[in-house]
Amino acid sequence: MRGLGIEPYAYSWNRTHKATQLQEKYADLPAGGVADSDEDRVSVAGRIFARRAFGKLAFLGIRDDSASIQLYCDKAKLESFTQLKSTVDIGDIVGATGTLKRTEKGELSVYVDNLVILTKSILPLPEKWHGLTDIEKRYRQRYLDMIMNPEVAGVFRARAKVVSVIRRFVEDLGFLEIETPILQGAAGGADARPFITHHNSLERDLFLRIATELHLKRMLVGGFERVYELGRIFRNEGISTRHNPEFTSIEIYQAYADYNDMMALAEELVTKCAEAIFGNAKLLYQGTDISLERPWKRASMQSLVQEATGIDFSAFGSDLSAAKSAALSALSPRKDESLQTVIANCATVGNVLNEVFEAVVEKTLIQPTFVTNHPVEVSPLAKAHRSFPGLVERFELYICGRELANAFSELTDPIEQVHRGESAVKQHKNDSYEVTLDEDFLTALEYGMPPTAGMGIGIDRLVMLLTDSPSIRDVIAFPVLKSQQ
Amino acid sequence: MEELDPTQYYNNRLASLASLPTSPYSQMFRVSMTFDHYREKFKGLSNGERLAETTVSLAGRVMSKRASGSKLVFYSLESAEGTIQAVSDARSLVGGNFAAVHANIKRGDVVGVSGNPGMSNRGELSIFVKEIILLAPCLYMLPKGGKNRDEQATWRPGKPRNPNAYVLKEQETRYRLRFLDIIVNPEVKFVLETAHSAVNYIRSFLDQRGFREVETAILNSKAGGAAARPFNTHHDASEMDMSLRIAPELQLKQLLVAGYNGVYEVDKQFRNEGMDLTHNPEFTTCEFYSAYSDYHDLMTMTEELLSGLVKKITGGYTVSYHSNGYDSPPVEIDFTPPFRRIEMVNGLEDTMGIELPKDLASEEANEFLKKTCEARGVYCAPPLTTSRLLDKLVGHYLEETCVNPAFIIDHPLIMSPLAKQHRSKPGLTERFELFVNKHELVNAYTELNNPVEQRDRFVQQLKDRQGGDDEAMVLDEDFVKAMEYGLPPCAGWGMGIDRLVMLLTDSLNIKEVLLCPAMKPPEAVPPPNEKGTPQA
Repeated sequence: MRGLGIEPYAYSWNRTHKATQLQEKYADLPAGGVADSDEDRVSVAGRIFARRAFGKLAFLGIRDDSASIQLYCDKAKLESFTQLKSTVDIGDIVGATGTLKRTEKGELSVYVDNLVILTKSILPLPEKWHGLTDIEKRYRQRYLDMIMNPEVAGVFRARAKVVSVIRRFVEDLGFLEIETPILQGAAGGADARPFITHHNSLERDLFLRIATELHLKRMLVGGFERVYELGRIFRNEGISTRHNPEFTSIEIYQAYADYNDMMALAEELVTKCAEAIFGNAKLLYQGTDISLERPWKRASMQSLVQEATGIDFSAFGSDLSAAKSAALSALSPRKDESLQTVIANCATVGNVLNEVFEAVVEKTLIQPTFVTNHPVEVSPLAKAHRSFPGLVERFELYICGRELANAFSELTDPIEQVHRGESAVKQHKNDSYEVTLDEDFLTALEYGMPPTAGMGIGIDRLVMLLTDSPSIRDVIAFPVLKSQQ
Repeated sequence: MEELDPTQYYNNRLASLASLPTSPYSQMFRVSMTFDHYREKFKGLSNGERLAETTVSLAGRVMSKRASGSKLVFYSLESAEGTIQAVSDARSLVGGNFAAVHANIKRGDVVGVSGNPGMSNRGELSIFVKEIILLAPCLYMLPKGGKNRDEQATWRPGKPRNPNAYVLKEQETRYRLRFLDIIVNPEVKFVLETAHSAVNYIRSFLDQRGFREVETAILNSKAGGAAARPFNTHHDASEMDMSLRIAPELQLKQLLVAGYNGVYEVDKQFRNEGMDLTHNPEFTTCEFYSAYSDYHDLMTMTEELLSGLVKKITGGYTVSYHSNGYDSPPVEIDFTPPFRRIEMVNGLEDTMGIELPKDLASEEANEFLKKTCEARGVYCAPPLTTSRLLDKLVGHYLEETCVNPAFIIDHPLIMSPLAKQHRSKPGLTERFELFVNKHELVNAYTELNNPVEQRDRFVQQLKDRQGGDDEAMVLDEDFVKAMEYGLPPCAGWGMGIDRLVMLLTDSLNIKEVLLCPAMKPPEAVPPPNEKGTPQA
């Protein structure tokens, strides 16, 4: 091309309209009609995805980030027609100016009088992209995935919309966005293995945060009454359809509120996102109809487990062996040895209840369900239940068998927090990673945190739900790849 | 009688807590309105008037407590919206022994108050207490405040301030126990809110212009898009070494290949480097990429964005900034557009009175620059690449003149591996950096979109890397391959958000604007010091 005096990498292009704008503006232009006054001179740009060339006519289909439109290239009107016919290919990015016409077949087109190659693509677009069996390749070349499948670009458009709706929703309620550190001296606020890195000049190891909870709660101590953070979380765990080592959550904290307030907030927030994408509160996920009509079902963990297995965990008191044997016999039909081992190793009745719940009940919760009043042993940061000893004021929101949100009335008592922390550390003694008590967080509680409710929502999982995506890696633009090459 | 020994105070409070029939921590309290709403609703009351039929619930932290005789106590309650006085007299208190109730409430405690709105005899809007509930005790003594706290809280972004004059001024304590900083120093709340306002403005500005917010990966198999040392980590399950990103550029450009016409990301970047007044290993940037635009378009956008942002947040175009330290008067930095433009090479030549070699990539140019730096006393740490030498000279001779926002433009190609070569000036690129108060705030360019040339430039960077410059850019094959599918002509832009917030909040140290800046690990927590705050 350079030999012909054509620069294959242009500097800029003065575009006047996107394809969608033209499609809307000229929606009434009939087949065979033209709009060729001075006001109808437009300038568009995009990537060529279709090309049909005849003797003196060529049709190029281009796509920009809004929609597609056709370029009608007539040798009579376009001076560089012959040259362009031999240099322009599918995959190239071009700019075109001209007026508008609609072909006999009804295709709105730009009647081109100037066509410029803005970027010559060196590699041809692949012919087959659908049904690509190598998923890793789709993720490694995500840009190709988006070029070849407009639906993929649609997923990310929906994601941006969801994030924007959520931000506006919480900001309208007066929540202030806070940025807490990703690199920390200790990783707390959740039960997960952290990533470790090393800071050269401070000569210390640092951890990537596994939650934003402990720093956001400090802000409540500081006096901010409504705070949130929408940001990246890191867990050094395996990759699956539900897990990417880095993912996005929003955590919200509100003073003088409790977990019931957070349930109402969750219902509203999810419904608003669904309405923004679909226009209503019903959606289809992997073939199942999901109704977001409020109020959503609320049921305690104990009652759900009792319903599913017949076991009444509230009757065991602290009789651990009775709880274990009841659980083991209820689960024996599964013949799942590793599960049997986990149950056998549980340190408390609360832990057994939690394991049985996860094994038997979780996946059955398809319609939106708030699972409430967890045992204290699995909820070190949650406030003791005002009415039920041994339980806490907590809920987890399940939709389609997946946890979408986790919330509680927050524990504000520093002495109780130390006891809970110590038990958590004891429980993790056999794990290869350290669970540490964050001393500065305890100091903050000693200065006094108002009664507070907090909630965390997995943004990726929410987007999966709203875009009918089966895997979390479908909603993350650049997911972690399983291998470097 | 207030105990003065901090450890004794702490232990006494713990003991008195244990003796209460119900733990204050188990309480729940609902407020009926915010402080702002309360002020708005009841501001019309006259002195001495009290609405006996209306009950309102408010909550906040007790910042002062004053008893007047044995039947009257005054509290100043503070929330995120300032202070309201709570007046408790023995007649109005419902249930409980007056003395016992108030004995348990100390300065620093979080309390809930239910009572009647009213105006004190002196004309201070108050709440007349019927019930007061301890919600969370403060086990430590708060440092004594200075003047009236509401007076101190009149600072707003753009105005000068002096953190060295704060009631709590030890930096270690302020940053490590940031909540205490916010409680005790009334201006800090507004400083931290400024970041929020700035980012909101930027998001809104870009959303309105059709840009889409995206999230690119923080964990990558390599760290590219800038020149810096990365943090490394290890993913156990797949046994992979990974790096934390130093910039989101390469992935954002891939999204332009994918078909997006405008993308942006406001999020954290990580550079495994030393800390100083303007550098924290973890910092926030905004980067955006616009298809079919060039750097001229972006210079105009920068002027619009920054001047608009400053106007929105401060009410005007100038900010006061103590560039010469808090002991000297502040300078005024003026964001009125348009901003001055300085062509880098011409600028250096004019200021230094020299002529730079035409071919900056040559050996001769390198020799010339080494000699020039030596002759002028400008120090450059090895490796003495032309790029680094030029950078030092620009810092010394050009950046120093940029107090008001000024663009330094048309950087040489050797300094800009990802920028497009200038359309009319050989050896230079279409790049600009915006300097404010002598520090870089924005870096932007028309993007190189020729993959063949991009690969060549990466190879050159590799040579620099082998020559000892471990900040030289890393070759990213995935990125080059993406370019082979066609990156539209585009321009990209990056701004340091923390540095912007520093300028808006008269902060000389980046730690001032970060919620939890990187710090050395604390020693084992010693007992509270004389002032009642735990030592750093």
